Amino acid sequence: MSQVAVASERQRRTIDRSAVLKAGAADPAWLRTRREDAWDTYTATPMPSTRSEEWRYTDVARMLPLEELTLARGDDPEAPYGGALPEGLRRAMEQDRDSAGRIVDVDGSIIAVELDETLAARGVVLSSLREAARNGGGEIEALLATEAVPASDGKFPALNAALWSDGVFLRIPRGVRLERPIRLSRWVSRPGTATFTRVLIVAEELSQVSFVDEILSPDFEVATLVNTAVEIFARGAARVQYVSLQRMGRGACYLANQRTLAERDSTLDTLNVALGGSLGRVDLNARLVGPGANSDMLGLYFGDTDQHFDFNTSQDHVAPHAHSDLLYKGALDGSAKGIFRGIIRVHEGAQGTDAYQTNRNLILSEQAVATSLPNLEIGADDVRCSHGATVGQLDPEALFYLMSRGLKRGQAERLVVMGFLGEVMSRLPMGGVVEKVTDAIESKLGYV
Amino acid sequence: MDDTPILAVTGLRARVPGVDLDILKGVDLAIRPGEIHAIMGPNGSGKSTLAKVIAGHPAYEPTDGSIDLRGEDLLEMEPDERAQAGVFMAFQYPVEIPGVSIANFLRTALQARLENGDELDLFDFQELLMERMELLDMDVAFAQRPVNDGFSGGEKKRNEILQMAVLKPSLAVMDETDSGLDIDALKIVSNGVNTLKRENPEMSVLLITHYQRILDHIVPDVVHVMVGGRIVESGGPEVALELEARGYEEYRNVHVA
Repeated sequence: MSQVAVASERQRRTIDRSAVLKAGAADPAWLRTRREDAWDTYTATPMPSTRSEEWRYTDVARMLPLEELTLARGDDPEAPYGGALPEGLRRAMEQDRDSAGRIVDVDGSIIAVELDETLAARGVVLSSLREAARNGGGEIEALLATEAVPASDGKFPALNAALWSDGVFLRIPRGVRLERPIRLSRWVSRPGTATFTRVLIVAEELSQVSFVDEILSPDFEVATLVNTAVEIFARGAARVQYVSLQRMGRGACYLANQRTLAERDSTLDTLNVALGGSLGRVDLNARLVGPGANSDMLGLYFGDTDQHFDFNTSQDHVAPHAHSDLLYKGALDGSAKGIFRGIIRVHEGAQGTDAYQTNRNLILSEQAVATSLPNLEIGADDVRCSHGATVGQLDPEALFYLMSRGLKRGQAERLVVMGFLGEVMSRLPMGGVVEKVTDAIESKLGYV
Repeated sequence: MDDTPILAVTGLRARVPGVDLDILKGVDLAIRPGEIHAIMGPNGSGKSTLAKVIAGHPAYEPTDGSIDLRGEDLLEMEPDERAQAGVFMAFQYPVEIPGVSIANFLRTALQARLENGDELDLFDFQELLMERMELLDMDVAFAQRPVNDGFSGGEKKRNEILQMAVLKPSLAVMDETDSGLDIDALKIVSNGVNTLKRENPEMSVLLITHYQRILDHIVPDVVHVMVGGRIVESGGPEVALELEARGYEEYRNVHVA
């Protein structure tokens, strides 16, 4: 009898079509249909293999045995979260000095939402995506997994669109400018599970918001997946900053699909910070869809032991006279691997495009490997584009210089690495995370 | 003054690892507290190598002889230990450290000198830094710039002097600090060294130079001539003047002997 119980428990939580039905049981009809269609796309899409250009250096099928994972929220997607705030998450949240609102996600369920009352009164919406999809009007139906990260984007976007358990909906009305960031604090606790969440941000014309998406977990002895789809819309002249701060424990696999759509004269900046987890893969597509749009794309990664970070970025200049500037910098120690693959695509008619792409790597050990693949695809003639990549080692002359002033070797190395990575943080326009990221890197440097 | 040398170099030979040829071929040198010594010599004479071996540069390997700093075996120490023991080398080519401010660098250097667990007081440090910059007549904004990143040659040398002023060494080794400087920058650097020397008369200085002109500004007690990896003559400031007049040619034959 207990065997039967185990089997049915297992069955209830496996990634399959019944899980899709369960995830969508309380959803409106349009969403159930969307989930089922996404599942069909998922089953029809082959698992990414290293034979494809975009996954050449990340053998995801080997690193992440999907069939062995159970769904974090598969047993009962509707059950309220009953536990206390996990200690590690609470500590991280205490470091956040200022926020206009916060939302907390544990194992794929939103467990708390807080928003400055005056902002709520001015029409700012910060809510569980699940609730917003059920209660909200046509806006979410129009924007969720359609224009930004649809199921057709690939195997994982399809799986996410079918199985997502919860997430964040943030909407800033026209002309409302937030001075302090909105913070999403996430925690994953269950080893061997898969969590699927989504973030949908709509910044209406002339609005301003900074969103910090921080994810943490303990160390896991088995592969544990978090997959997130991030969809961001900046309407005319809006200013949006999205920061992903990935500080998960070992064993965690973080797969993120992010797409930003920047309309006329808007600024839509992103920062991806990868410090934790065993596998981190970020697919980021910045689309500049309105003239005068601007996207700064920053990335910072610091790998040690056998961590594996893979960034696949694209800058799509659809509209003319838009500007994008990418800077990804990483330091790699131990036998860590860092892969950066980026492409600037200037579409036909996107005259007056300004697009830049830079990836720099600092290798701290003999076994660490950085692979950098910058690329350009230009379909217009009046453009300014550049791309560049470097992979360097700690300069022994620099270390000697610092040591000759009394710094121990380790201190000298730390200072050089901090300086190298610091350039990225100095370019963050809206702040809100610099201190936290600096602390996180410093503590990691101390640990190395 | 105390007659015991602060620095005693004896029979020092050194080479680049893997290259079976000594650059220093038996150098003897003794500097007493408060003395200023100049070492002059043509390109390739080994004078810069001597400076780097004293500071512990990993690109040079001592093969024989010794360097004592107040009786301690300097060659057994790591570069950071030598710095903590009071050695400071002003670099000929100061290294750029992007993203690290001069203030942060100096704070870390002072912190490194404290016992484990002791924390450098930030206000004390700020005060010290301001006071040192004032002494050298420097703009306080300078300390916020990243170390040597995008600096002109003159700015890099000023940065070396600032570091020296903050770290207060007992032996300052100036490795061709004057090379590539225009006359104004040369004066700034010389004034800085002289100011620090006035402040701490016990500080010893070893000035490595190719040219006599810096010796018009920093007056040495002893001038050595180095040729072919050896010191071939030592004397007072007049040696430098003679060199200026006659060049190194007459010494070329000496080291063959």
